[in-house]
Amino acid sequence: MHIMEGFLPHPWWEIWFALSLPVVAYGVHRINRMIKDNRETLPLLAVAGAFVFVLSSLKLPSVTGSCSHPTGTGMGSIIFGPWITSVLAVIVLVYQAVFLAHGGLTTLGANVFSMGIAGPMVGYLVYRAAMRSGLHLFLAVFLAATLADWATYLVTALQLALAFPAASGGAYASFEAFAAVFAITQVPLAAVEGAVTALMFKYIVELRSDVLVRMNVVSAKAVAVLKEAAA
Amino acid sequence: MHNLLDDYAHHNALRDVSPRLKLFIGLASMLICVSSPYPAAPLFVALFLSLAAVLLARIPVRIYSRLLLLPLSFALLSAGVVALMQGEGRVLLQMQLLGIDLAVRQEGASLALLLLARTFGGMCSLYFIALSTPMIEIFATLKSLRIPYSVIELSMMIYRYIFVFLDQAARIHSAQVMRLGDAGAKSSLHSFAMLASVLFLRSWEQGERLVLAMDSRCYDGKLNIMEQAGKATSLQMLIVAVYLLLASTIAVLGRGAFLL
Repeated sequence: MHIMEGFLPHPWWEIWFALSLPVVAYGVHRINRMIKDNRETLPLLAVAGAFVFVLSSLKLPSVTGSCSHPTGTGMGSIIFGPWITSVLAVIVLVYQAVFLAHGGLTTLGANVFSMGIAGPMVGYLVYRAAMRSGLHLFLAVFLAATLADWATYLVTALQLALAFPAASGGAYASFEAFAAVFAITQVPLAAVEGAVTALMFKYIVELRSDVLVRMNVVSAKAVAVLKEAAA
Repeated sequence: MHNLLDDYAHHNALRDVSPRLKLFIGLASMLICVSSPYPAAPLFVALFLSLAAVLLARIPVRIYSRLLLLPLSFALLSAGVVALMQGEGRVLLQMQLLGIDLAVRQEGASLALLLLARTFGGMCSLYFIALSTPMIEIFATLKSLRIPYSVIELSMMIYRYIFVFLDQAARIHSAQVMRLGDAGAKSSLHSFAMLASVLFLRSWEQGERLVLAMDSRCYDGKLNIMEQAGKATSLQMLIVAVYLLLASTIAVLGRGAFLL
């Protein structure tokens, strides 16, 4: 859910830039360290970023006939962790603004915060918690991707509500209104993205499980169990 | 439409104008739009930059107007919510929806109009940059602005691979459609997941090959790019200065006729 160019008024777009900046700076620091240790991760990160862009520009099939775009950030944060995903999100969001007119540059800070920081953070934490409590991998992935999307919508609704508090009832009332609009249009789509991400993991485990093991997403033992169950 | 904007960036009539100047116009226009308290200044910015894109950069009018229509639906939706939530004053429009009273009041309506104008002006500024300046020149400019090297490097590689993967995704998609992969909700869900995972695996393998290719060409962590674009002439700078001065004057003074 991108906020468009020019939509956030004066103090708010600066505030969201200020909130996003330290996280992204830390992400850049992490990337620099990763490259120093292991130079070949940079091209891999690059193809992952391009993948997120392409995924988010594809139309998601949906039952109601309406279409929407997956965010792809749940996927990113499961594989690369939230910090690095935030840097990828900045780059991808700039390209989306410039090539597809999704989002904008003054609203970049707010969009990075909702899609590149809040969503991936939630997705990552949910994924780790679910794996620790022994849930099935695919269920954990589904939950992480779905909840990451929901977190993104809630933060976007909050950003819009804070910038445009209702005349009666203040920011809370308009938060309800924006959240209601998203709830109707976006919540089912988040579940679709969760399902798609889980299916993706199924195919990846089947074909190239070594990628996931190398990125520390799942242990080699868990992969062996999954493959045995599938066979 | 995926490489549409990019194609024009490489072949437009403003291609050889200094990229810094073009970036500066776009960004400054955006700032004027977002800080203008009345719709007049964003509309002026939209008009000026659209004329510049069509007359100076020679972007076909039909394509330019189609680009402007793209983001309109989201803008209208969000502005609609704002119009309903906001403000006091005269009731302009009232209706009942599912038993809830909805009323558009004066303040809400003018705020919604202002937002639409700002979005419109901002979109024109974005398109001005996107249609007139190739990415590679933006990278060179970013480099001189001391953005961390790893980020620029990452952006350049992502930029390259976006086009490779869009192409692959389109091909996989048409292969799936030809085999009725989009028949029914369940199979389209499966097809989409298959497309996404194949794309991920292919991109990963592409990345591994890229590492090999770059290593064998002595990649040491730095891709060098040449900044070959021209410098801004004083006439161009004068025009830009006059335009920005006009736009900011309108932003400060421009109540008048545009207030509802």
